[in-house]
Amino acid sequence: MLEFETLEGNKYAWDDNIGLFIPFPTVLKALINEISSHKSVSRDNIVERLKSNFPEEEIAFYHDWIKKWEKLSPQTDNQPIHQDSSISKIKYETFRYGLSNLILGVTEDCNFRCKYCVFSDYYEYSRSHSDMYMDFTTAKKAIDYYFSLLDEGHRYNPLREPTISFYGGEPLLNFELIKKCVEYSNNKFDNYKIKYTITTNGSLLGEKKAKWLMEHDFTIAISLDGPEKEHDRNRVYKNSEKGTFKDIMKNISLIIDSEYEKIFSAPVYDWKSDLFKLEEFFNRKDIPFLGDVSSVNRHVEGCSYFEQFTEEDYINFMTQFKKAREYYCKFINQKKAGSFFYHMAIEPIEREFIQPVSIYPPDTLIPYTTTCIPGKKIYVNVNGIFYVCERVNHSIIGNVDEGLNFEEIKRLMSNYHNKMDKCHTCNLKRKCGYCYDQFETNNGFSCSSKVCENEESNKKNIFIETFIIAENYPEVVDMSYGYKNIKKFYGE
Amino acid sequence: MYFRLNPECYFIRGKKCGAILDLIDERVYALDQEETEILTSCEKNNPVSKDIKFLQELKNLRLGNFYPNKIYMQKLKAGSKLMEDQIGNPPKLYRAFLEINNSCNNDCWYCGFHGIKRSLSCMGCNKWDENGINLTPERWKDVIDELRDLECKNIFITGGDLTLEWDKTMDIIDYANGKFTNISVTINQRNLSENILKDIGDKANLVVQTDDLNSIKDMHSNFTYLLVIKPENLEESIIDSENIMVDFVIEKDNLEHILPLISKSDIPSVNVYQFLNNLEYHPCIGNTLTVCHNGDIISCPTMRNYIFGNVSDVGLYTIFKDKMEKIDEFWKLNLDKIEKCTNCEYRYACPDCRSLEESITGKLNGKTLCRYNPEDGEWINLEESITCK
Repeated sequence: MLEFETLEGNKYAWDDNIGLFIPFPTVLKALINEISSHKSVSRDNIVERLKSNFPEEEIAFYHDWIKKWEKLSPQTDNQPIHQDSSISKIKYETFRYGLSNLILGVTEDCNFRCKYCVFSDYYEYSRSHSDMYMDFTTAKKAIDYYFSLLDEGHRYNPLREPTISFYGGEPLLNFELIKKCVEYSNNKFDNYKIKYTITTNGSLLGEKKAKWLMEHDFTIAISLDGPEKEHDRNRVYKNSEKGTFKDIMKNISLIIDSEYEKIFSAPVYDWKSDLFKLEEFFNRKDIPFLGDVSSVNRHVEGCSYFEQFTEEDYINFMTQFKKAREYYCKFINQKKAGSFFYHMAIEPIEREFIQPVSIYPPDTLIPYTTTCIPGKKIYVNVNGIFYVCERVNHSIIGNVDEGLNFEEIKRLMSNYHNKMDKCHTCNLKRKCGYCYDQFETNNGFSCSSKVCENEESNKKNIFIETFIIAENYPEVVDMSYGYKNIKKFYGE
Repeated sequence: MYFRLNPECYFIRGKKCGAILDLIDERVYALDQEETEILTSCEKNNPVSKDIKFLQELKNLRLGNFYPNKIYMQKLKAGSKLMEDQIGNPPKLYRAFLEINNSCNNDCWYCGFHGIKRSLSCMGCNKWDENGINLTPERWKDVIDELRDLECKNIFITGGDLTLEWDKTMDIIDYANGKFTNISVTINQRNLSENILKDIGDKANLVVQTDDLNSIKDMHSNFTYLLVIKPENLEESIIDSENIMVDFVIEKDNLEHILPLISKSDIPSVNVYQFLNNLEYHPCIGNTLTVCHNGDIISCPTMRNYIFGNVSDVGLYTIFKDKMEKIDEFWKLNLDKIEKCTNCEYRYACPDCRSLEESITGKLNGKTLCRYNPEDGEWINLEESITCK
């Protein structure tokens, strides 16, 4: 149990056994202690022991409630869970739930030098920019192999639709390759409905390229951080430190004017961002709809980006953050789905309530954290090497000539699992959102006892913030369940 | 003070009244209108007096408690919507009926061949007046592999008369053995023999169809009887027998007798998994497919007119790929989409037979076989009718 208390004085706990937040009054805590220290003690005995501190009817109520929940609870003894990573099981899971995306890193080159970029010096364990480009032979092999896996996996998951993503560096620097890949895939694999996505900084989106992407139904993610001053603070050209905002806005106007719907903004913010200006900016009609909103990632081994900020920066940011959240909650009925505040401040709260997998026992393939099974998606670098994903730099799982190496995947999963030394005692097992990205270093994975040292206290603060919102604006949280019919006759 | 139901207790409101669904003890509590209004206010986090007797009663039943401040109560759930709703996840196929033949030399009066409707017709054997070439044993084995690869949990092997080509039947049962959580096989009692019992052994759960009430009084405890019976002939003692499933014959001209498929004395219980499933899927045809003798793919074995495709020449996964939207129209026909049920507080607990309802009302979302009127919150009083489940 991870206990916490809100400003109202309500006591709650995260029950990791069941995967649920529960009210956790002092009497319940005392009862649990009493039961665990005197295994076969009767209800009457417990009432007798505790009645000097709590009303008898409360003791009886919570005693019976505990007993009721025991019918459901898969009691765990905090012993490490043995990992079952047989290759047949990994393959089955990959064919059934994996292969969602082939990500082609078409170049490591970029015409920007964004200050928070994961390939910057702020990230000790990530690669640096280079002038390397993928060639068509490599891309073709990757595409052929991806579709051969899809053909084989079709019987396990007929609903999967292939997605090919173009990633960089700045992928539009290798636009000719992108064109060839799309033409090749559409011709050769016309029995599939292929989705294409691209993540671009937008600076090279001239009229011709923009039209071509729209004609080929691309989902276009533009890295646009906000109004000019906000955007240009971090997103600058490679050689000049010149801001990039004006060029991007000029380029995307063609797409926006043509009312193309598959374009969205993917802003990144940090502790110097002016959140209210961002909210205003992303509500503008000439700005692409908001997709992913993320903070510069600081939960990564070897990240030093945040060392530049002062305590005052952090306090100012948090003050803004809380105001933004309050603002969103108060005006929830008037807000559009594309609110920056929603993505930044509310979505994480919703996730606290809908993310955990309740009741079911942990997956023995990946007993701890929520990392994916390698092969969930395949990131291919310029040299045709397969990686677990675009965010990790050392976890190699195959190559275009030999395909996925399931022995290597098994070894990787096993190495990772062996480093999860603290997880079995963690009170947040079902809440963990970490993956390879958080643990990877140049020399394998860090131990969870190191990476997650302050996780419980950090999470406790998040829970408190979450429940302050939930208590005051329950409709904000309830909407996230997606079960609106449950309350259809509750009235206003 | 504030009163809130426990995490395991969902409060579901109908148009007039409400119900508490306790998902751990699997009990459903019906509330009257006054109780419904009190609890609605509580669940909306409005303050309330601790002296209200009804709320004290709920506390005594361990369904909820009083709190000094406004609190947020997260409700019990299983799984994660976030993960389950990911686009491109495989279909959730839990149950499949495999009609491995359509031949029978019996002429049972209650057979689907004669157009007779039964409440558990899906579990029994039926011969259908249909054309088409039967799938070969090899194709059935492929279908079994395809079902396994789609993670189907439970299969029901039916006919026709499975004993006519017993070697072929056993070949298929042997092939399916060990690939699913549960395998059931339906055979008519008049075709049963010691050899057949011996062959099946522990490889499958045997369901024996019969209309002979007397014969099951000396019943064999190793299998389940599916007793076909007209409601007016049912003996009270049969209802509670563990190994007997009652398969009522439904006839349009005696609907008054048949109405009590859902009655006040028989509000069904529901557990957390069923409840969460019922929020999205139909309680019976949801996550279910039938592979007909000729390879046609339908949802319910007795809804023969809604064909999604045919697996004679293509894999089952191809049907999913091409027809998932159509399949979902049936799977996701939850009771929120059924007329009358949509206003009912029991809509996530109730069973429902779409096949029967459709045949009686002529509408895919029609509803007749229920005694409750959720608009008025009243049970239709038919005391004179039989008391059966």
